[in-house]
Amino acid sequence: MNRQSKAGRITLEVVMVLLSLLFLYPLFLAIINSFKSFGEVMRDVIALPTKLSFGNYEHVWNVINYPKLFLNNFVITGLGLVGIILVSSIAAYKLARTKSKWSGLIYMLCIMPMLIPFQSIMLTVLKLSQKLYITESTWGLGLLYWGFGAPLAVFIYHGFVKGIPKEIDESATIDGASGFRLFFSVIFPLLKSVTTTIVIIDVMWIWNDFLLPLLMVNGSPDTKTLTLAAYTFVGQYTSDWQYAMTAMVMAVLPSIVVFIFLQKYIVKGVVAGAVKG
Amino acid sequence: MFKKMGRKVSEKVEFGLFTLPVLICIAIAFYIPFAMTIRYSLTKWNGISKHPKFIGLDNFKQIFLHDTNFTQSAWFTIKYAVLYIVLINVFAILLALVLDMKLKSTPWLRAAFFIPYILSLVIVGFIWKFIFMQGFESLGASTGWGIFKLSWLGEPGLAFISVLFVSIWQSIGFYLVIYIAGLQSVPDDLKEAATVDGAGPVRRFFSVILPLLAPSITISVFMALTNSIKVFDVILSLTGGGPGGTTYSIAYDIYRDTFQNNLYGYGTAKALILFVAVLIITVIQLTIFKRREVEA
Repeated sequence: MNRQSKAGRITLEVVMVLLSLLFLYPLFLAIINSFKSFGEVMRDVIALPTKLSFGNYEHVWNVINYPKLFLNNFVITGLGLVGIILVSSIAAYKLARTKSKWSGLIYMLCIMPMLIPFQSIMLTVLKLSQKLYITESTWGLGLLYWGFGAPLAVFIYHGFVKGIPKEIDESATIDGASGFRLFFSVIFPLLKSVTTTIVIIDVMWIWNDFLLPLLMVNGSPDTKTLTLAAYTFVGQYTSDWQYAMTAMVMAVLPSIVVFIFLQKYIVKGVVAGAVKG
Repeated sequence: MFKKMGRKVSEKVEFGLFTLPVLICIAIAFYIPFAMTIRYSLTKWNGISKHPKFIGLDNFKQIFLHDTNFTQSAWFTIKYAVLYIVLINVFAILLALVLDMKLKSTPWLRAAFFIPYILSLVIVGFIWKFIFMQGFESLGASTGWGIFKLSWLGEPGLAFISVLFVSIWQSIGFYLVIYIAGLQSVPDDLKEAATVDGAGPVRRFFSVILPLLAPSITISVFMALTNSIKVFDVILSLTGGGPGGTTYSIAYDIYRDTFQNNLYGYGTAKALILFVAVLIITVIQLTIFKRREVEA
């Protein structure tokens, strides 16, 4: 029986690995076709490229300003993330430590927007942003994410702070630390694990976000994000699949590279975020 | 006594300093736009004229009584959401059960199924459009299988399946890792005890593992529901709403009316309906799951 179950396990193992390869086959096809010429793509999509040529990459690189796009993504994601973490952690801490009617009310105000679908307010967000002169700017978009990311972050931080004993605050107060100093030197370091979770889910969200950037920064090539540029690019080169696939690969490459190195943390963070959120 | 009052005031100031920034940010992102949405929804406005014209509830009347686009996209979204929630959870649980058997390849498998989840949905839509339009032609030619010769984006029924399939492909890794985490929290001796008691694998699954997975199922169904009601990106790049407007979701319909047809007042009225729908569904869901948890 043992031998039989061992054989079964090996079969299962082989079947699963084959299934996973089939699962990733579309990505493999996208990658190999980014190395082909137009004629090669039209002749046979599934054949390997006849030679390893980076001509498509050169072409796409020249059409879109890749370093600039990458920098835009980086600025938007970085600025958004820092803001979300600062304003949310500090507010969640205060709200969790203060027992009053006001505190409860403000907490509800902070987390209720999780119920508002973005499409319900997209037009008016755009109109308001135009009034505040923060459209068509990567900085403006980054700032806007502070508000969009805050409800979930406040919710997660609030739950976590409740588990930190109050005595820690009290002993720090006796040592003379108070207000912001107490928070940043004593409390914030204790929030490290939950901050990591928030960083992971927010980076994945902001980096790949589409609709808000489409409304806010799609007007000029100088402010576009990677995904927006890929989207526009496909619109312009509708039948040139080899260029389109190259643009796709270039747009997703940073995410894949980061995933390969930080896989364990990303999966853990996503699970923690879902369980707590 | 003055000292005490001073302390109280400074505590209040500190409370304000700590909570005001987040309130301002959230007000700008949500509350002010939401109030504007309510106001615009009662107007007729093309975005060009300076002042929206107040027309009361006419937009809502029009939407519910005469707008076939809206009913069509609402049906699409409901069908899509139901199938998405059921299928993705069933597949994810099945996969998680296999991956929980501690195969040698489990780390690789988990990573492989998770990869699409880290990619932008718009881009995933384009890659699959390429596969459906070009890749299937080559696959059909080399295998001769009829399945590759169907027009997966060109026929309404098939386009629906394609949108559903691509969405599941992109996000199954997320649900998979939640279920794996859930299974790992089921104690091994519980699984073994059931085996010793003579329970077969099917029986064991339904009477031991599934009940213990309940918290993971709650989370997953909740996430699947919230995500599927708002489906937009993948449709935009995969089918563009086609063929013949059959794959418009509610979110996409709102986008079309607001930004493509410039019906600002009308579009925001639809947006408000979406909000109310999401609110009702969420409240129902929370009460159901709350009751369940109490029982357990």
